[in-house]
Amino acid sequence: MSIFRQLQDVIATTLKVRPEKITETTINEDLAAWDSLGHVNLMMALEQTFDVFLDVEDFPLLISVPAIIQYLQDHDIN
Amino acid sequence: MAKTNPSFEDLLASETRAELRAVMAVSRIPLSLPEAQKLVSHLEALEPPAHRLRLGIVHSYTSQLMDPWLSLAAAIQGLELQTYHAPYGVTVQEAKENSGLLTFAPDITLLLLQREDLHPDLAKPLARLGTGEQDELRAEVLGRLAGLIGQFRKHKVGQIVLSLLPAIHAPGLGIFDVQSDRSESAWWSRLKVDIGRLLGDSGQASLILDTDEVVQEIGRANFFDRRLWYSARFPFTPVAAREIARRIVALGVLIKLPKAKVIVLDADNTLWGGIIGEDGMAGIALGPDYPGNAFVDFQRRLLDYQQRGFILALCSKNNAGDLDQVLKEHPHQLLHDEHFAARRVNWQSKADNLISLAEELNLGLDSFLFVDDSDHECAAVRQRLPQVEVIQTPSRAIDIPRCLEHVARLEVLSLTAEDLVKTEMYAQERRRRELKDHVEKDGADIDEYLASLKMKMQVSFDNSTHLARLAQLTQKTNQFNLTTRRYNEHQMQKFIAASDWLVADFSLVDIFGHSGVAGLAIVHFTDTQQAELDTFLLSCRVIGREAERAFLHFLLGQLSARDVKAVVADYLPTAKNELVKSFLPEQGFAACPDGRYRWNLGDTPPQPETAFPITVTLDV
Repeated sequence: MSIFRQLQDVIATTLKVRPEKITETTINEDLAAWDSLGHVNLMMALEQTFDVFLDVEDFPLLISVPAIIQYLQDHDIN
Repeated sequence: MAKTNPSFEDLLASETRAELRAVMAVSRIPLSLPEAQKLVSHLEALEPPAHRLRLGIVHSYTSQLMDPWLSLAAAIQGLELQTYHAPYGVTVQEAKENSGLLTFAPDITLLLLQREDLHPDLAKPLARLGTGEQDELRAEVLGRLAGLIGQFRKHKVGQIVLSLLPAIHAPGLGIFDVQSDRSESAWWSRLKVDIGRLLGDSGQASLILDTDEVVQEIGRANFFDRRLWYSARFPFTPVAAREIARRIVALGVLIKLPKAKVIVLDADNTLWGGIIGEDGMAGIALGPDYPGNAFVDFQRRLLDYQQRGFILALCSKNNAGDLDQVLKEHPHQLLHDEHFAARRVNWQSKADNLISLAEELNLGLDSFLFVDDSDHECAAVRQRLPQVEVIQTPSRAIDIPRCLEHVARLEVLSLTAEDLVKTEMYAQERRRRELKDHVEKDGADIDEYLASLKMKMQVSFDNSTHLARLAQLTQKTNQFNLTTRRYNEHQMQKFIAASDWLVADFSLVDIFGHSGVAGLAIVHFTDTQQAELDTFLLSCRVIGREAERAFLHFLLGQLSARDVKAVVADYLPTAKNELVKSFLPEQGFAACPDGRYRWNLGDTPPQPETAFPITVTLDV
């Protein structure tokens, strides 16, 4: 599965939205469920799913699908 | 035997909630947040939840992030969870009329508080205070907490559960702390004991959820997520959140689901490793070395459950003689004949044996837990007796001692004197039955048997020292219960204190022993000359010895002496109280056109004490 597909699944499950709502360009403001609490849940879900440790400083940067994909690629996660 | 390391896919393949619950209780499979959410969807699709749990959360740190873990724990237990999170940081305001919490009408009100919420001085180092000052502070904290709980208690907030966030840091004086007379950790331990006593004593239906115990279980480093704490005021790692949620929901299970009362145990590969009929006394694994030590430890844990008030029974496909020999002679066997209230050692099906155990113990099958290592036996019991909770013994010996730890229905909300000696009481009952069989064999009749028991009934009125037991009786009694009204300690205390209510209970002594408090009647004086029987119930272990009749007629006599002219009573049928369907008319109550029952004491006096083989005394 591509990183995007995996990410789409994680976001859809964590934020309880339909997968097709999430595209390669989705940002937090596109989804009502991606609010500040949803964001914390999403950070936890990313860590557990991709086995990565996110710094608290990275939390506010990872607010869109492209930003997250870029981060995962920069850290050699696929 | 239960698979030791099921995968997430195995969990998703489970076909019933009961099966999945049993697997989750035994294996401690780690779950990521998305996996937890997928599991919730899977569980919801399997079968609709059986009960609804309304959880109100009053908090001084972020609590909404607990939700996915609370949903998971609830879905596993078959509870439909509805959650209300009070506005952030607001506490006592939620205990006011028309607050969000009161409008929500929770079954459980959970107070998620930080330590310094209890007193502003707790934000400063404790070691600055000498012992006297520390004691004063503790008394002050306790007083404030009692005040806070009291504010909530004025309203219908259900069971109050208090939890204090443990310290994120090591204690103030570091490694030396525990040795100092200014020790911070010792101060908090003492406070916790005091809080426990405060909440327990007051009969306030309040509990402390000991989060320190969760820290012990998973470790401080795994408990706190400092990133989330400092950035989002949410303290927990997913592991901690999941474990705390599991414990909160377990309390809900105890409130909402049928009470578990009996643990029925298989013997081979459950109480010991191996098969006694094949391996013999010397061959089974039970003793100081691995894997026998794990089985010894499991038996030791079973004794803990007995102390909680669960009774143990044995159900094994074996030759009775082989099993007897282990119970009597094996040097490392901890459970002996006297620890089992009943046993079935034969070659019949386990389901048939469970049915006959339920009859012997006079308890419903939905109060049974069945523990067995065999795939086949577990599946067969699940299929034939879905009301029995089945736990499959894990295949790895090291997992066996803790295999019942996550079974929510084996938790308790209170502990009474009766709980501590329950198995002994069932053993007495077994001896009574033996005497009865003996008397009947001699051709004597039931009256002679009852007379030979030399029963004495001690009745007491409005006895608040029995509070916990009285509430427990309303919660647990299903069969001999005219109205099946459930009350908590707080409600019971109100009946005891109110002048227009009378709470009567009794205990029964005979040549075999003491029953403990085993019967309860709650009477409401609706006007000066009329009373209503709100509750009338007997614990199943005293049924069939005329105690029910002696108690009723004694009570009616007492009411008559108080100038009550008429008593109105109800039989409210449930799935389980068929036993008392005709009790009221049989005793002399007249059925009324409105479906209620009535006794005009002015016209017909109750039967005198001499009509029963029991000497009754009133404890005043």
